[in-house]
Amino acid sequence: MSDMSDENFYDDIEDTMDEDSAYGYDDEREESGFGGNTDSDEEEEAILDDYGDVDDAFGTNDIGKERLKNWQVEFKSHSVESIVQAQKKEIDHVASMFMIKDTDAAILLRHFGWNKERLIERYMDSPEKVNLEAGVHEDPSRPRLQKLANFTCEICYLSSEDSPGGKMETLALACGHRYCKDCYQHYMEQKIQEEGESRRVQCMKEKCNLVIDEKTVGMVVKPRIFERYKTLLNRTYVDDSSTMRWCPAPNCELAVECHVSVKKLDKVVPSVRCDCGHPFCFGCGNAAHAPAVCPIVKLWLKKCEDDSETANWISANTKECPKCNSTIEKNGGCNHMTCRKCKHEWCWICSGPWSEHGNSWYNCNRFDEKSGSDARDTQAKSRASLERYLHYFNRFANHEQSARLDRDLYGRTEKKMEEMQLTSELTWIEVQFLKKAVDTLTECRMTLKWTYCMAYYLAKDNMTELFEDNQRDLEKAVEDLSEQLEKPIERDSIPDLRQRVTDLTVYVQKRREIMLSDTATGFEEGRWRWNVTF
Amino acid sequence: MSEARLRRVNKEIADCQNDKASGILIALVDDSPFHLVGTFPGPENSPYEGGNFDVDIVVPDGYPFQPIKMKFITKVYHPNVSSQSGAICLDILKDQWTPILTLKSTLMSLRSLLCSPEPNDPQDAEVAKHYLSDRADFERTARYWTEIYANGSESARPPNADDDAAALARRKKGVKEDPALVAGLKLEHVEQFVNMGFERNAVIDVLKRLNYRGANVRNVTDDRVVNELLGI
Ligand SMILES: [Zn+2]
Ligand SMILES: [Zn+2]
Ligand SMILES: [Zn+2]
Ligand SMILES: [Zn+2]
Ligand SMILES: [Zn+2]
Ligand SMILES: [Zn+2]
Repeated sequence: MSDMSDENFYDDIEDTMDEDSAYGYDDEREESGFGGNTDSDEEEEAILDDYGDVDDAFGTNDIGKERLKNWQVEFKSHSVESIVQAQKKEIDHVASMFMIKDTDAAILLRHFGWNKERLIERYMDSPEKVNLEAGVHEDPSRPRLQKLANFTCEICYLSSEDSPGGKMETLALACGHRYCKDCYQHYMEQKIQEEGESRRVQCMKEKCNLVIDEKTVGMVVKPRIFERYKTLLNRTYVDDSSTMRWCPAPNCELAVECHVSVKKLDKVVPSVRCDCGHPFCFGCGNAAHAPAVCPIVKLWLKKCEDDSETANWISANTKECPKCNSTIEKNGGCNHMTCRKCKHEWCWICSGPWSEHGNSWYNCNRFDEKSGSDARDTQAKSRASLERYLHYFNRFANHEQSARLDRDLYGRTEKKMEEMQLTSELTWIEVQFLKKAVDTLTECRMTLKWTYCMAYYLAKDNMTELFEDNQRDLEKAVEDLSEQLEKPIERDSIPDLRQRVTDLTVYVQKRREIMLSDTATGFEEGRWRWNVTF
Repeated sequence: MSEARLRRVNKEIADCQNDKASGILIALVDDSPFHLVGTFPGPENSPYEGGNFDVDIVVPDGYPFQPIKMKFITKVYHPNVSSQSGAICLDILKDQWTPILTLKSTLMSLRSLLCSPEPNDPQDAEVAKHYLSDRADFERTARYWTEIYANGSESARPPNADDDAAALARRKKGVKEDPALVAGLKLEHVEQFVNMGFERNAVIDVLKRLNYRGANVRNVTDDRVVNELLGI
């Protein structure tokens, strides 16, 4: 399964992705009166429409200025600096409200996962209890750092006699559990460097939950490690927040904010796109997987991992022609195969003759459940269930692979276009249509890929037929565009090609939109039934 | 740093050797104070009573700031101990470790883990299933394991394949371990399927996997067992 991981896939193409192609038609977006955003936890039904104003640390009222489609969600990317700023604002607010030190305000906020409202409510109720729970308390009669004679450290077993001048440097938090400063340093450095810990490091005494605050850490560790500590601490702001997530793209330092609650993930697919260009799912952090919802994606990925050995043969790049058995290598993303030897035309996915797929009846996306119901004995049943899985997995994996091949093909074509640009009157702008087409194709194949995951878990009824029809139409459109791109490019035919490719690109985008919009409506209406429980 | 580690471990070993009351013994493997074997008696009023349990102890470079590594040498039937490898699932051996804990206090925590399993955070899922589905039946198997695996050693000693103390004691007493009983299964259940012509080890494997034990037996049909045995 690893060779098909989305992560790798997007690595390859990130730099060539077209920012604009993300969500369909730019020109159809309109300005609308979106205010801020809210964690719509309470309003179970209002998924996208009822965003009210809410006080938020970023003061972001510019999220989602465009009118969103029903399958889109609002989101915004944030840099590390803006995350630091946002934290500072929250800390200052709480510190001045409760009249406490900002380090304590920070511990309290972190303890409450930056849910300021809940902290304020609980703190107003009983500040002592909250302080104790979070590990904040102060006893001015007990100095933190102290040089002591007659002290033995319970951790390193060294005593004051072993120290210069017969006095040992010791440190205790407000709880009074005192150890030598060296042990504190080793302890903190182990936690920070080896375990990547920051906000949760507690007093070394067993079961003492007092959190070691930022200032104390600064007193005991080396400056370099203190810097690391502060970086880690900053990261926890995003880690703890239910409305923020780090962009999973390697080397990307941005975080994305999105306010779709976890409880809605069985109905909403929060597809977001980081400012770096990486499209991913805010709900689970995997590469974007609409229209399939997170829980079934999780099931599916697990299943694919478990069954990868059985299904391995599928990823092979060559197949034999079903008619003359000569070996054929797939070199583009198109599934319409023509044997070089006997000219037999067939479908890469099902090995059936292409003539049965072509115009009005493109039935390669549908698994025939009847053959499963015919199965009488257990053995046949389990074979049928494997076949059913392979049917969907086959198509799922194929779109993944095809998208990669489409990219390769584009690379070659682009080179050719560049050459032509030099020798003809074509401008750079005029050859951009191919890039747009390939970007769209990639995106549509990703959508198609996940429709097969979704189809695998859909309980068969009238609704699934509609789903499969949409899937079939999208697949047909995708293969048509893919096939068009495989055609050899001659200078004279470019204007023609450009028109055809542009038309097909617009059409395939439309098909994707219909697919996504209908599934989203289906989720809203509770139209989809699953054959599994999650 | 390594000096501090050596000083502390040596002192801990000495402390243990001076304290006979706790019943906890620690011995060196290959003369290194950083690879040890700890032994403690199974807790009273538990299925482990009467057994002696050997634990492999590795003191990591970062000790005491990194947790000690421990695993059972003696085979233990317990939800939080791997029945295969002896690996232990215990919070203080992982993220709840603090430098104030010692070899002795950690071994004592292991001992109390034997009395109070955490089946919801299992190391061995099959054993945990057995524990949750029929407590009395689980305890019977745990006692059987104690009897056949934990009865020979009375002091901490390095593990030695040729001279496995428990095996030796078993041979002396003429106790033979039965894989069906080791798997927590009833002999008559195993024989029932063996009589249908299936291989004994395969029957044990399948029944174990299906948790064919205690009260759960009525939830597993004969057909199911046969299908599994046929590989369907
Ligand atoms: Zn110390
Ligand atoms: Zn303390
Ligand atoms: Zn990014
Ligand atoms: Zn997801
Ligand atoms: Zn052929
Ligand atoms: Zn086909």
